[in-house]
Amino acid sequence: MRLSSLYSRINHNHSAPVWGRSRYRSLRLGLLFIAPWLAGFLLFTLYPMGMSLVYSLTEYHTRGPLEWNQFQNFINMFSDDLFWTALKNTLYMVVFGVPITLITSFACAILLNLKVKGQSIYRVIYFLPSIVPAVASTLLWLWILNPQAGVMNTLLGYIGIKGPNWLNNPAWSKPSLILLGMWGMGGTIVIYLSGLQDVSKNLLEAAELDGASWFQRLRHITIPMVSPITLFNLITGMIGMFQYFTQAYIFRGTGGLGSPLSSTLFYSVYLYQQGFQYLDFGYASAMAWVLFFIILGCTVLILKISNRYTYYAG
Amino acid sequence: MKARKFLLVVSLVLLMAITFTACGAKPEEDVLNVWITWGDNPAQLQALFDRYGEANGVKVVVSAPVEEDQILPALTGSAPPDVLILSGGDLVKSYAQEGLVVELSEAIDTGGIDLADIYDAPLAQCKQGDDIWCLPWGADIYALFWNKDAFEAAGLDPESPPTTMEELEAYAEQLTVVGDDGTIEQIGFIPDQAWSHSDLYVRLFGGFWYSDDGTQLAVNSQPMIDMLLWQQQFYDKYGYDEVLAFSTGFGDQYMSPDYPFYTGKLAMYVDGEWQTGPNFISALKPELNYGVAPFPYPADHPERANTGVVQGTVAVIPANVKDPEASAKLLAWIMSPEVVAEEMCVNANLPTSKKAAQDPCFMENPKFKVFVDLMGSPNASYIITTPLSLELNDAYGLVEEQVLHTGADPVPLLNQLQEEFAPKLAEALK
Repeated sequence: MRLSSLYSRINHNHSAPVWGRSRYRSLRLGLLFIAPWLAGFLLFTLYPMGMSLVYSLTEYHTRGPLEWNQFQNFINMFSDDLFWTALKNTLYMVVFGVPITLITSFACAILLNLKVKGQSIYRVIYFLPSIVPAVASTLLWLWILNPQAGVMNTLLGYIGIKGPNWLNNPAWSKPSLILLGMWGMGGTIVIYLSGLQDVSKNLLEAAELDGASWFQRLRHITIPMVSPITLFNLITGMIGMFQYFTQAYIFRGTGGLGSPLSSTLFYSVYLYQQGFQYLDFGYASAMAWVLFFIILGCTVLILKISNRYTYYAG
Repeated sequence: MKARKFLLVVSLVLLMAITFTACGAKPEEDVLNVWITWGDNPAQLQALFDRYGEANGVKVVVSAPVEEDQILPALTGSAPPDVLILSGGDLVKSYAQEGLVVELSEAIDTGGIDLADIYDAPLAQCKQGDDIWCLPWGADIYALFWNKDAFEAAGLDPESPPTTMEELEAYAEQLTVVGDDGTIEQIGFIPDQAWSHSDLYVRLFGGFWYSDDGTQLAVNSQPMIDMLLWQQQFYDKYGYDEVLAFSTGFGDQYMSPDYPFYTGKLAMYVDGEWQTGPNFISALKPELNYGVAPFPYPADHPERANTGVVQGTVAVIPANVKDPEASAKLLAWIMSPEVVAEEMCVNANLPTSKKAAQDPCFMENPKFKVFVDLMGSPNASYIITTPLSLELNDAYGLVEEQVLHTGADPVPLLNQLQEEFAPKLAEALK
């Protein structure tokens, strides 16, 4: 079918909203085909979301009736010090962790895009850590960052630096987790690499002939042309960081979840603690909705700002 | 079109056939599920419960160790275990408050469980007024471990552990070795080695963070302040960062031959009775020359000698079990002195049954007997639990961390904790 005739059919249907039998049949078939997904979405996404909204307005009891407490759960957050600590810790990871990971993975992607001998081997090496499960890599990093026997402090010792007590020092625990996260940035690197393949070689060559330096070509051609990729990585990275949980959950010092000194008490960790440990599902649900709106707000903000800086070749 | 209709009819018939076949399937034999949140040796636990199955014509399926995250869905859902055995009693009162577990008085009567045979201290953690929400199966109690070789090297009598807390402080100093660059090479005593032992220390200072009946919060009481300051000195003396770097540098080596107490890097510490059993020191460092003694008491309070705080595993019956009678019967069997003796003997834990404690296996090892005697001591106490236990423990843990690891003043922190949690406790106990 020619594209023009397809457009005309679509337009024709728009102007004629009365559906025929075949149209209903198509709809029925379409619904039937997506029924497994639809059932899953309604049962396991929409229904829990709706119920968590209800719970957020109640004092939840696992087996007793719900007690409405209007917006008390939301009001309680304002006076809950640990809530603010958890939010601040999470924002720290978003503000520092996401850009650092983006810049580093972009730099790695540029290096891995260089036409050098063994290019594919280097690419595999950089991607490998990202397929190691988060649990295993966190446990591994606990040893790498061990203050006495760890590889990191041993190496620092060779150059005369006394390494910190990484994960057990509140000043170093979050940077350590960012470092740990960077180890698994293979996925982001691959997305950047694919974006780099789309950077116009003609433009790069033309700029080179005009005498543009490597940095100028990077600054004025490569970076703008991969800006949609950067936007994608930024938004997914930000959402992932707001939901940061696994590594912090696995890493519990002697003080339990959030230690040392609540410096690794992230939003999702505190939400889990309130719901599944203290059985306060009403409060946990309210926290989940606040997180949802924070993420939504940040995503909309980034999308708005990005209009000015993102270049879509199409 | 006909072909499609035919296909549709065939599919429907097939679907109905499958459904009705499943509904009409012969029911499986009776199965009782026992969930245990710990268990180094699941096969041994299964073999133990198989004996109950054989004697009663049922199949008992033991799941051990069950992850913490699986428990809540099971207790609130439709497929709970028939008996649930928890590693500790921390959460029992919260479960009770939420109506997730059964009050056991009736099960105790019908099962003929002799409460007089259960040691007071472990049983107390299950009681709330006249209600009994759990039954203690195995018990743990803590004592002082000391490395005799390290004592000898430091010029101390290897057969004489400190008897008072003041002596312990002096010994700890003598046993600590600091290198020329200020790095700690060996340490005498770390008060919170592996985990917090504030429950034991605060009893030695004559108090607890609740009133005795568990209805009032006493988290900023004088014994709490004294207890934290006493622990703080062991960090303060050699530098908070230095001691912390030394202790956290051990990593997760609890069940490893490199555990600092086994290697002699840590001369004294607090640990439980299982260390003297077959799975720990005997298996990991059999040549270790060590001793065990009741934890020292304050010199001006000799009446507090042989203080111990009992913790341990507890059994509960979920509120939504399909056959409460079968659960009660199984619980009675679990709590019988013979079963308690056998299981605790295998795992080197303390039996909660007085009759079981007479089993020769608990008397053979003189080091283990130190713990048996401690549990029978008039100064054996227990951890008071409330519906707020876990939340308060976490909040207190943060205070302890600030005091011990950063040198913070405990008074304002404990006052703040008291202010925050006293109304919460009153609300929870309404």
